[in-house]
Amino acid sequence: MKTLLTMALGSFLLATTVAVMATLMVSGWGSLPIDRADWTMLAVGFGASLWAVLLVCCLLTARVCEAVLSFSDRLGDPEPCTIPRAPIWMRPLMRSLAQVQQVVLQRESVWQTRLRDLEIRERIADTERARSESVLGVMREAVIVTNAFDEIVHVNAAAARLLRFDVAEAAREPMRKVISDERLCRYISEMRESPCGPRQLDHVVQNADEDPVSCVAMLSTLPGLNGNVASVVTVLHDMTREREIAQLKSEFVSKASHELRTPLSSVQAYVEMLVDGEADDEDSRQEFYGIIQSETERLSRLVDNMLNISRIEAGIVQVDRDSVDFENLIERAVQTLEPQAREKRIAIHRELAPVDLHAVGDTDMLYQVVVNLVSNAIKYTPEGGRVTISADSDHLERSVHVAVSDTGLGVPPDDLGRVFEKFYRIENYKRVAKGTGLGLSLCQQIIETLHGGEIGLESRLGLGSKFWFTVPMCLQSGRETERRAIAA
Amino acid sequence: MNKRILVVDDEAHIQHVLSLKLRNAGYEVLTASDGEEGLHVATAASPDLVITDLQMPYMTGTDLCRAFAARQDTKDIPVIILTARGYALSDDDLANGNIKEVVSKPFSPRLLIQMVQSLLDAGEFERAKAA
Repeated sequence: MKTLLTMALGSFLLATTVAVMATLMVSGWGSLPIDRADWTMLAVGFGASLWAVLLVCCLLTARVCEAVLSFSDRLGDPEPCTIPRAPIWMRPLMRSLAQVQQVVLQRESVWQTRLRDLEIRERIADTERARSESVLGVMREAVIVTNAFDEIVHVNAAAARLLRFDVAEAAREPMRKVISDERLCRYISEMRESPCGPRQLDHVVQNADEDPVSCVAMLSTLPGLNGNVASVVTVLHDMTREREIAQLKSEFVSKASHELRTPLSSVQAYVEMLVDGEADDEDSRQEFYGIIQSETERLSRLVDNMLNISRIEAGIVQVDRDSVDFENLIERAVQTLEPQAREKRIAIHRELAPVDLHAVGDTDMLYQVVVNLVSNAIKYTPEGGRVTISADSDHLERSVHVAVSDTGLGVPPDDLGRVFEKFYRIENYKRVAKGTGLGLSLCQQIIETLHGGEIGLESRLGLGSKFWFTVPMCLQSGRETERRAIAA
Repeated sequence: MNKRILVVDDEAHIQHVLSLKLRNAGYEVLTASDGEEGLHVATAASPDLVITDLQMPYMTGTDLCRAFAARQDTKDIPVIILTARGYALSDDDLANGNIKEVVSKPFSPRLLIQMVQSLLDAGEFERAKAA
């Protein structure tokens, strides 16, 4: 570089000397006429000067390019870019380049921030998408999202189950290729073509060889950037369970109403007879009073049982859990019901195994279960029959097993599966004994819902029945037993 | 001659109170505890009117009405249905037999007697007109 500079400087000096000499020859020696050789000399001098100037310009340009290249290499450096031993005439250029570097660094910083922001947003969007997909995945409602071209954008598992298609093969496919329910496809297309706010309509999904599924279809649209419909969101809510519950409720109300109206009829009729003075003598009046009283008690029992069952089903019943001694509980139940059994000359037997008969539970409720079962056995056993209460514990299952057997009428096979239903009474036995039709249902709720046990029935028509239940044994007593065993 | 009323109900108290009320009103009363027994008594004793419960063992009130309609000797017997159901009978049920009235439980025996009387009077009027 230095050589070049020296050559350039030498050339410059030579050219300048030649140019000066030529000028002097032309001007100083003016007396002489300028001939062709003089002009040649002058031209050579200017040519040499011009060459020298061009050479210097090239060298300076090269120097500037070198500085710019060096700067561009270090443009991204946080430190200000400098060129060591830069000549004075390059300092303004260096200052300008430094300013450019500062601007570039500032811009880069802004873009870095924006990039980080975008990355964070992308991660948030990914998380949100995953969360939405999880939510849609666990939803019982079928969700279908279609775009402006009636292509599937998103479907959840419930939609695939309801409309019988494969989720994995649905994405980006034309809606009509995936969903065979033409009426539903038509609703979605109509919604896209003429959006009119969210719509709700009844729809029946009918898959081949399957029962129709009653649904409520809710359709709404999502607008795109240009204001047109970007996608249609369709949610199908299966109403089968709701309709079943409504049906059950309606049946319960109907049965409850029927059971309440019957004793109420007797009460109203006998009261009216008394009011109208149609009971001639004191004996008749006493008979009417007795019937009114017994029917009122029947009503009261019905209402109590209905409320108890409702409370248990609603989960608002208070269970006082304690260690229940079934030996004692059975003894109390027998004492209560013995007068009733004696009237029909029915013998009550106890067969209690000589083992620990403790369980965890609510004493009053379990007492009610035993009384209900023994009372039923007495009611449906002919005079002179036999009722047996047995109790044992199952150490494998860790439960107490209680059974009430009788030599009564037995339960017809068709009724075996229904005797625990609310208000169910064996039609042909209604005259044999009065009842609310709720006793066994209440027993089932107490044993299974509140105590985690089991209740069941074995019966042979004309030979008798055996109602049994199990209640988990007292855990505390188990630990105590272990403790005692360790202490021993 | 006293008019003969058949009361069919599996609830002993209802049967008892209706029998008393009807007897006090001067009617001859027959009773049955279910549909089958009701049909047997009706065919044997030809009552002038039947009051029957709806839900009974062996044979329901509507089945009893169908059985009456199927027999020449019982098809014209007017029937009053007593029901503890909370809703009205279907048209199909009402089309069976000669059901004249449906009374919901709980009911007033006094009003029931008035209903019996008016139905019997209307029946006599119809017969007189036909004669």
